[in-house]
Amino acid sequence: MNNSGLLLAAVFVPVMGAFTLPAIGRISEHLRNALALIFVLASLVASAMLVPTVLSGQTITVALAGPLGFNFVLTADPLSVFMAIVSSFISVIITMYSFGYISHYPNRNEYYTMVVLFIGAMMGLVFSSNLILLYIFWEITAIASWRLIGFFREKQHVIKADKAFMVTIFGALAMLFGFILLYAETGSFDLAVIKGYFGVNPISNWIVLLILLGILSKSATLPFHTWLPDAGVAPSPVTALLHAAVLVKIGVYVFARLFVMTLPIAAIWHTVVPIIASASALISAGAALIETDMKRIIAYSTISQIAFIFLGLAVGGNIGIAGALLYILMHGIAKGGLFLCAGIIEHGTRTKDITKMGGLLASMPITAISFLFCALSVMGVPPFGGFFSKYMVMSGAFNQNVWIAMVFLVGAFLTIIYLFRLFNMIFMGEEKAHSEAEGSRVMVASVAILGILSLAGGIWISYPAAYVQITLKQMLGI
Amino acid sequence: MLSLLILVPLIGIVILNLSARAPARRLAFWFALLIFISQILLAACRHPVLWNVEMKQIDTFFKVSLSMDQISFIMLLCIGIVSIASLLVARHTIYDEKELFKFVNLLIITSIGMNGIVLVKDIFTLYIFLEITALASFVLIALEKDRNAIEGSFKYLILSAIATIMLLTSIALLFMVSGSTSFEAIRQALNLANNNIILFAIGLFVCGLAIKGGLVPFHAWVPDAYSSAPAAVSVLLGGIVTKTVGIYTLIRLLIAVFGFDPSLKTILLALGALSIVFGALAAIGQNDMKRMLAYSSISQVGYIILGFGCGTFLGIAGAIFHIFNHSIFKSLLFVNSAAVETRLGTTDMNKMGGLSSKMPITGTTSVIGMLSAAGVPPLAGFWSKLMIIVALWQSGSKTYSFIAIMASVITLAYLLIMQRKVFFGKLSIENENIDEARIGISTASIMLAVIIIGSGVFFPLVFNKFIAPIQELIIR
Repeated sequence: MNNSGLLLAAVFVPVMGAFTLPAIGRISEHLRNALALIFVLASLVASAMLVPTVLSGQTITVALAGPLGFNFVLTADPLSVFMAIVSSFISVIITMYSFGYISHYPNRNEYYTMVVLFIGAMMGLVFSSNLILLYIFWEITAIASWRLIGFFREKQHVIKADKAFMVTIFGALAMLFGFILLYAETGSFDLAVIKGYFGVNPISNWIVLLILLGILSKSATLPFHTWLPDAGVAPSPVTALLHAAVLVKIGVYVFARLFVMTLPIAAIWHTVVPIIASASALISAGAALIETDMKRIIAYSTISQIAFIFLGLAVGGNIGIAGALLYILMHGIAKGGLFLCAGIIEHGTRTKDITKMGGLLASMPITAISFLFCALSVMGVPPFGGFFSKYMVMSGAFNQNVWIAMVFLVGAFLTIIYLFRLFNMIFMGEEKAHSEAEGSRVMVASVAILGILSLAGGIWISYPAAYVQITLKQMLGI
Repeated sequence: MLSLLILVPLIGIVILNLSARAPARRLAFWFALLIFISQILLAACRHPVLWNVEMKQIDTFFKVSLSMDQISFIMLLCIGIVSIASLLVARHTIYDEKELFKFVNLLIITSIGMNGIVLVKDIFTLYIFLEITALASFVLIALEKDRNAIEGSFKYLILSAIATIMLLTSIALLFMVSGSTSFEAIRQALNLANNNIILFAIGLFVCGLAIKGGLVPFHAWVPDAYSSAPAAVSVLLGGIVTKTVGIYTLIRLLIAVFGFDPSLKTILLALGALSIVFGALAAIGQNDMKRMLAYSSISQVGYIILGFGCGTFLGIAGAIFHIFNHSIFKSLLFVNSAAVETRLGTTDMNKMGGLSSKMPITGTTSVIGMLSAAGVPPLAGFWSKLMIIVALWQSGSKTYSFIAIMASVITLAYLLIMQRKVFFGKLSIENENIDEARIGISTASIMLAVIIIGSGVFFPLVFNKFIAPIQELIIR
């Protein structure tokens, strides 16, 4: 298959495939599960096969002209391929984990359809190079996550799903308005044209603000962060998918794509965005310290870590941006692992309240070790993967603005405190809750893989770092 | 050829009623289905060979000057599709055979009226077809003869009568000025003479049509009429009748006759924005599914008027496309409410919940309809709203453009409330034994959902084939 075929396959195999799953699920559960995995795997394989081409400095574009500037343009460059591989890889593990987790709940057909559709839409978003196309995929992810958060159909759950949907759609509409303003000014929705236009003209701050609203709401950053902890009512693989690997990274990715790569934003934003991020990091870390619901703690921790990524991207400077990209990878793996561990614990103990847990190390050894590895990576302890990314982001920040960097240093300390607290309450001490089994084999294997990868990502950091270097060159045109 | 769209159903009704026995009554359903399907096919394929057939005898006998253009094609398509949906719903909601026969007759008469409205190019003939449609709708609303239905019908009748007086007065004034009733003659006369009488006539006409189209502040009859009408009639009314009678006519007259006056634009934009916000806010507070959908109609009509008020190609094209989309998704949502009503016997949303586990087709299609209504991509409703918003911004109405885009949040809010109360959520115990809707209703909802997805995903094709040609009409 040639490169444009691979690019189309990465997006449309899961998007189209998702809609065949309900019909197949009526015939055979196993076939449906296998196909769901194959569709997601196809994305991963197709994106991975694009790596040699993009590393050689080429970009692959599939374009189809549409009316009124609504063109269909997919572009694969180092950044999009990087993001695609990270998200589809974590998605593969989450899909595998779902086989064990979701097998005894109703509405499984809907579950797999929405998960695969979500991943396909994520792929589309990552590769799309036209703002309207990007917006379409952006909203498909919102629809899928709306159904998935309300998956258990309890009244409170559905209300929380509606809340998440409303908040992200509000942001998305603001962003769409920003896109329309860009269109009115440049006459095109294509990123290449827009980049050319703003190479010579300054960009209005209103446009930046409107687009930023969309990004912040999707990435659950202050002041639009409240939907994310509430979304923890979803099934655990979904929380992992949404919170860790994919959904919240959408905003970050679009930030990198638009504000780092395409639009020359005014200098003020290099201060304003880090300030928003620092408030977000501190407040959510504080919330994580006092929460007692395991999944809400991890969700607040996500909000806090996303702020680090924004910091890296926004303060400018090569090392910060490189760190932020590595952060996307490391945090995706580690946070996905934490949520999946939480899913196993929740299944075993039938509670999410950490005050009712303790001493689970004895009955869940593999989960505990994986949890610890992932947690250490999120904290940024060497030699785990998270250390390098956090170090690079912080070093980029210290180069630019010492005061904001100091605030984030406090945020990093808080991360260590609340994650150790979480680990202690769940796994150490006397045994309060009891669990017979550790969960199905495929679930435990999934978390073990993510735990090991958190460590391996640090030990073999040179490989992703080398890739990120090339991405950086291409992004900044140096 | 065009006159056949009016004459064939008309003659058909007469023949069917000559012997109102049981076989003829059963035949009526299939006859109606046949003419609606052929109307859709004719409008969708749009081959000039088909449309330009001349029929000497019939044309000399039936001396109404009709004409066909790009906008009429789209409207004929909508009329056909919504009529079929309404017919299918009626088959499972009107149990008495005689009543069903009456319904089918009235449905065909309504569609004759609407076809006429879409095709005429003479202001007085237009008025006659408006009245045909309105009269048939009064009876349709009151078909079940219960207290609420008659109240709703009465409200519609009274307000419609006021609108009629306004229209007639306006027509008389225009006739006085121009000495003719054809669109072209009036337009030329208006170009020459420009005085206050004309302005008054245009104002009256616009007001009359705003009543018929249910724009705020002329909307009072809409919720009562829609919610008290039988399920099949709500589909028809909410989907297409008020849009054809009020909004389409307004668009047609402004494009073909009156032209865009700056002050008229201001009024239209203000009315549109008011309708959007008011309709959406009022919808949030409703507990009755059909009333909520009725307020949602008011709000969506606001979008149409707002797009149209730009006066640019993109705005008008967006408005026409939104009429099409609205007719599809709103009739889909009304079909869903009919499905729920037949199974639960109520439209009170507080007595529902979790129905999608028992009614998967209804539940899934209603999500599609709702997302299209809220303008969520990649469904069709997104594209028309996007066109309208871009057009508003380009024509300089920046504030309205912002209102239009942010009102989508309110739209989404009430539609999510509907989803939560009706389909999503947990099933209550008393509803445990309900089944999926009957086959006809499910067919209608699947058909409409497929149209929504198809015209959304393949928007570039739809745009090039149906919407881009509108440009010829506007730039003259």
